[in-house]
Amino acid sequence: MTALSWGRRYLMCRPEHFEVLYEINPWMHAEVRPDPDRALAQHERLMATLRDAGAQIELEDPAEGLPDLVFTANAGVVNGGQFVPAHFRHPERQGETPHDIAWFQSHGWRVDRLPGDVVHEGAGDALPFDPEGGEGPVLVSGYRMRSDAASHTHLSRLTGAPVRSVELVDERLYHLDLTFCPLDNRRAMVAPLGLDPYGRKVLKALVPEPLVLEDEEALSFAANSVVVGTNIVMPACPPRVGRQLEAWGFSVAVAPVDEFQKAGGGCRCLTLALDVVLSDLGRELLPA
Amino acid sequence: MERAGHEVSEVVEVEGHIIDSLILAKVLDLVLAAGCDYETLDVDIGKSNRDVSRARIRIDAPDEATMSNLLVELQAHGANRVDQGDARTVAADADGVLPAGFYSTTNLPTWVRLGGHWVPVANPEMDCGLLVGPVGPDGQPVVRTVPMHRVRAGDRIVVGSEGVRVEPLERRRHGAHFEFMNSEVSSEKPKGLVVSQVAARIREVKARPPAAPGANGPGNRVLAVVGPALIHTGAGPDLARLVREGWIDVLFAGNGFATHDIESNVLGTSLGVSVGLGTPAEGGHANHLRVINEVRRRGSIAQAVESGWLTGGVMYECVRHQVPFVLGGSIRDDGPLPDTKANVVEAADAMRELLPGLGAALILASTLHAIATGNLLPAWVETYCVDINQAVVTKLADRGSHQALGIVTDVGLFVRELAEALCGPAPGDSGGGGPRGSALTGPARGPHGGPEEVSQAPAAVGWTQTGEARP
Repeated sequence: MTALSWGRRYLMCRPEHFEVLYEINPWMHAEVRPDPDRALAQHERLMATLRDAGAQIELEDPAEGLPDLVFTANAGVVNGGQFVPAHFRHPERQGETPHDIAWFQSHGWRVDRLPGDVVHEGAGDALPFDPEGGEGPVLVSGYRMRSDAASHTHLSRLTGAPVRSVELVDERLYHLDLTFCPLDNRRAMVAPLGLDPYGRKVLKALVPEPLVLEDEEALSFAANSVVVGTNIVMPACPPRVGRQLEAWGFSVAVAPVDEFQKAGGGCRCLTLALDVVLSDLGRELLPA
Repeated sequence: MERAGHEVSEVVEVEGHIIDSLILAKVLDLVLAAGCDYETLDVDIGKSNRDVSRARIRIDAPDEATMSNLLVELQAHGANRVDQGDARTVAADADGVLPAGFYSTTNLPTWVRLGGHWVPVANPEMDCGLLVGPVGPDGQPVVRTVPMHRVRAGDRIVVGSEGVRVEPLERRRHGAHFEFMNSEVSSEKPKGLVVSQVAARIREVKARPPAAPGANGPGNRVLAVVGPALIHTGAGPDLARLVREGWIDVLFAGNGFATHDIESNVLGTSLGVSVGLGTPAEGGHANHLRVINEVRRRGSIAQAVESGWLTGGVMYECVRHQVPFVLGGSIRDDGPLPDTKANVVEAADAMRELLPGLGAALILASTLHAIATGNLLPAWVETYCVDINQAVVTKLADRGSHQALGIVTDVGLFVRELAEALCGPAPGDSGGGGPRGSALTGPARGPHGGPEEVSQAPAAVGWTQTGEARP
């Protein structure tokens, strides 16, 4: 097996304005407010854990009135030197996009936008898998909950990457990154609970050795983990999952982020991998 | 080539990595599962795994309804009906008249295809035309709904349905929060639960950040649309509290509501019946006329407040807290109050001005204004229609306000409990259903039944998800 070619550099955003102000997924309850100090401490610890795992962290400035800007995974899709910003489904989050675009532009990315009539919520709904012996990375992308199926064709044309569209069917697992977590070029965590039968088949065909998550394991956000080489930073590690990951040679570190789970996000949601390359186009756009 | 038994035929196109993603297989399975038939017209399979594939499929359905349900479902998987050219526009030839064949709108989010791009309609409203305006800052023309009377000669109006797309209400948006809407009418629902759920929704709406100007979605403002029964049932003080404490941002009513609200605060009666005692007051039949007369003498409700003559009630709180209101007139109005807009077309226009940024609407014991408001609201505004008479709710739905949730109960009790849920127990409230002391001004009043409109029947609470089931 070969480790993931990406996952060593992340964009994050400190939770200085993080709150639960609205309810756009079943985990959010406006009356269950996160503790701001605990959220900051958990975020610090997640950053430290990621750095210990070998990752480099870039920070985006927080912005008042945009509580979910901390969930950088949804900012957009990174392809080498190309950035395709998200088009959020909910008006509550649409204000994040100009901030994200400004960050990427000022850091040298070329910004290519999806057409205005489709929605897509970035890396939260799009994760690459580069199968052993395949023709390069395939972008697995979720649809129905937060992204449109029609957005996938545009995303593929913009990035030059083939897309596998999978329908998400459980509103608790509303983004792909709660259902699917690539581990290397043979393995990934997969939660059938979140997928329709066609999506399960698609992932079965793509991933030679899936770690199939039980429903309880999926609902503990086990798939919302950050993979840095052979280190995996998880919001929680169900024992069976931990044993399998260790048997495969991974080291697991748990970084509790339960304050963010009140908003429906785990470790992966709080990070956006900046070193993903999906195609020759993205590679050519990288600074020399 | 129509097939026997299949009346309707459409061609859909789906493109993308539809083979490896099994999308094509799923689309064809869905066609068959819907009781329809298909023929693949052409399939263009990408040469490498990076190339997208495309398929055009002819679908035959037994009837229009099956076809339209199937097309909505297929759209979710990226399969769209073909022949989506640009929308056609025609210049209006006279003021106040739409061109023949104009596209008649719904209140759902709507998109219009122009120059190959889908442009969102800024302010969905039913029963209007679509006006294509000048090019906006984003390089796209601005498209907005236009009521017939506001059309001006030369306006570019969309004709036909080609190039117009309507988004169905999102199936699973809000999921758990809206689950309580999905049950059928039942008198066995605990009313307290229903009130607390509506209160929770209102809190959530108010907690949202304000909608950006021109935003294509719900904001954080709450509208109350109210009828005079609310005053007759003694709930005026409770609504006044909701206004005073900032839960209501806009108020729509008629001449009668404002008159009885003022009458009950100045004279202690509503339509001549003592709000405190439930008995007709001596000479009370003329009370509302005397009140209208005094407001007319002062020039407006605001001036009646400023002069110190009106010192409490819903209209008083609206003036004090700068909550904008529209009083729409009708032919049977007494007076009317100087604030009442007797020209109903102007009244509806004034209501339109106050719609941007609304997130929720509470329609309380009002039929005329309920329908009028339902006609104006975009479907994304959560609408709660509270009435003792289920016919109002049904009527609202029959006229296309599918987002309206009906609550069949006594409005007086409902508003009182809602005020308690949002503002805490009423000051001086002993907790029971008995008369309570003056919370605001004037005489003691209690939630006794007032005149004829008020039902003494136990509050049957029913939830009706009106209109068609969501797709």
